[in-house]
Amino acid sequence: MRNRSTAIRIVVIAWIVAAVGGDVALAFGPIPPGQASDLASSESLTILLLAEIAWPVFSAVLAALFFTIVVNRLAPSSEEVSGAALRGNTRVQTIWIVTTLVVVLSLAVYGTVALAVDQPGDGISTDSAALPMPGSASQPLEVQVIAQQWWFTYRYPSYGGVETAQLVLPVNQKIEFHVTSLDVIHSFWFYALGVKADAVPLNDNVVTATPTQTGTYRVQCSELCGLWHGNMSDDTARVVSSSDFTTWIQQQQTLDAPIMKYLPPYSHTYEPSPTVYGS
Amino acid sequence: MRSRIWYLVAGVVVAGVAVGFFVTQYLNPVPPQIAATTTSTTVQGRPVVDFSLTTVAAVGTAGQGNGQHTNWVGYLPTTYLKVPAGAMVHMTIDQQDGQTGLRNEYLGLVRGTVNNQMTVDGKVMSALDPSLAAHTFTIPDLGVSVPLEGVADNAPANAQIVVEFNFVVPDKPGLYRWQCFVPCAAGTLYGNGGPMQSLGYMAGELQVG
Repeated sequence: MRNRSTAIRIVVIAWIVAAVGGDVALAFGPIPPGQASDLASSESLTILLLAEIAWPVFSAVLAALFFTIVVNRLAPSSEEVSGAALRGNTRVQTIWIVTTLVVVLSLAVYGTVALAVDQPGDGISTDSAALPMPGSASQPLEVQVIAQQWWFTYRYPSYGGVETAQLVLPVNQKIEFHVTSLDVIHSFWFYALGVKADAVPLNDNVVTATPTQTGTYRVQCSELCGLWHGNMSDDTARVVSSSDFTTWIQQQQTLDAPIMKYLPPYSHTYEPSPTVYGS
Repeated sequence: MRSRIWYLVAGVVVAGVAVGFFVTQYLNPVPPQIAATTTSTTVQGRPVVDFSLTTVAAVGTAGQGNGQHTNWVGYLPTTYLKVPAGAMVHMTIDQQDGQTGLRNEYLGLVRGTVNNQMTVDGKVMSALDPSLAAHTFTIPDLGVSVPLEGVADNAPANAQIVVEFNFVVPDKPGLYRWQCFVPCAAGTLYGNGGPMQSLGYMAGELQVG
């Protein structure tokens, strides 16, 4: 009995060390998707919070499992005997239920608030008109993501509806992504910014994020969409300074000049065309 | 008795290898590849190489797969191309197919070629009316995209449009996919089935190096 009490103490101390050590490591470790945007930071915080709560629970399960296997193990030579009858333990049950209730309800409240406050309009179709050119960081810059088998292109309605094959965004500027498709269902995934939205024909999915770190990032399709789905990615998406963005968008306007008269008026969705395929 | 077992084991191993070989060859066939024709010309130290492709409304027996899809639209003689690293590619495409039109009008813009231009029957152009396109020659990862004007419906029989352009490939070896962005697959859902989803017709690979 004394050995059993000692074993319990050792396992509990080991669990506390593992739980605290793990939580500290999580707090200082890299948490995906990172801090490249306000949205990504928010997602990282949520993942960190869940991990910080889950790790002690997970390590407690491991500790209990270890204790059961090691301390409660019968020697092979021992005769099998029935265990003692289980009796209700009001204190243990109360602690168990209250702890579980507090953890689950806290996370439910946190999740609901984060969902409501963090991303108003996330993934919701909209028919708002083209936005004016942003004058401040609080005024969103609208960027349309157009998916088709198998390339993403981007339109900037605030700059005359210019379309490009490369995504470039100004840092510290709120971006309103409008995601649509010209053929099948794709999914636009800008991992570093924490942005992921389905691209559905005749639908306009909206996600907002504010990039906070300049750099070169990867965007890719995350919805199986055909032959070249695995290649529907681009490692040259960039977040640049405001002045660099201005220079870049002016270059794109110059490059696009020959095609501008043929581009359809900016719209949040486009009817699939042509309607006769092949000749 | 023991030797029989060994014969059996050997037989199973041989059969397994044969089946494995067949399956891998079926799933990952080695396609016929054409290499660019080298020239004696250099531009800014880069060797200039030539490619000639033809687009047709139906590949007939000249297409991939031993005549499996004779009525599919496609590039001939193949869509598997090989060029030396760092070369300037002079591409000539005999465009024999009719007009379909681009789904994304932006791809009517000539991009990634020398001076962002092409010549169409000798005429220098920077963009094509998207409704006139029959196909595109597009290498997304290299930023190269050239719209190919289709032959008009009222054009004489055997009419074709010759499109020429130059582009530079990277100095490092690599494998790049290329494809057509016009929904040109007649008889398929939204024009994007069949030859648009099959390597060797409206999609292929450019091996650099």
